[in-house]
Amino acid sequence: MKETLELINQMQADGVIGDYAIGGAVGAMLYLEPAATLDVDVFVALPTTKGGLLSLAPIYAYLEARGCVVREEHIVIGGWPVQFISPRDDLEREAVAAAVAAEVDDTATRIMSAEHLVAIALRTGRTKDHARILQFLEQDAVDSKKLETLIDKYGLRSKWEQFRHRFLGDPRG
Amino acid sequence: MGNREMRKQLAALTFSEKVRLLEKLRARSLAFAEARKKRKKSEDIPSGTPKHNQK
Repeated sequence: MKETLELINQMQADGVIGDYAIGGAVGAMLYLEPAATLDVDVFVALPTTKGGLLSLAPIYAYLEARGCVVREEHIVIGGWPVQFISPRDDLEREAVAAAVAAEVDDTATRIMSAEHLVAIALRTGRTKDHARILQFLEQDAVDSKKLETLIDKYGLRSKWEQFRHRFLGDPRG
Repeated sequence: MGNREMRKQLAALTFSEKVRLLEKLRARSLAFAEARKKRKKSEDIPSGTPKHNQK
């Protein structure tokens, strides 16, 4: 993983990508216990082509020139399949901008805040996302004020109430 | 130690320590997947197939 992060950081230093933030299970691991996952989700503002389309091509060209191999929607960096994801909306863009600094054996990286991870998981709404939200709540790993702000800002109130009703037995939901 | 307490202790590890654990978990998952694949491959070969026809 250290090698993976070093190459992503180098790619950023070389101007191929701008700010990035790790999300998904690896991101959640900053706040929770480790959970098995096979890949790393990296949210990054992608460069646009002349036609205005978002393109992974510069990232892949940079990494392939350094021996990385494309495998389906991933590119394997330092042994880890990495998926580069362009932020789809303001919530994900904010999650990248507000990412927090972390380190893996002296290698710096950026990880989404706990509240952004929970808000994105709530919006995505798969079973595994709900399970992760429950872990965040159970371990008291989120600032509830900040989370409530995100929920209102990004129109997630009804999803949050449904979640609370279904999983926490909250009658308000 | 209870499950909840253990999870709490794991959550309190540094990110570097968690990454090391994650790498072990991943190596194990990949080894299981590889073993499953090999087993399936050997099961797919009909039992009466002569050895020289098996690949």
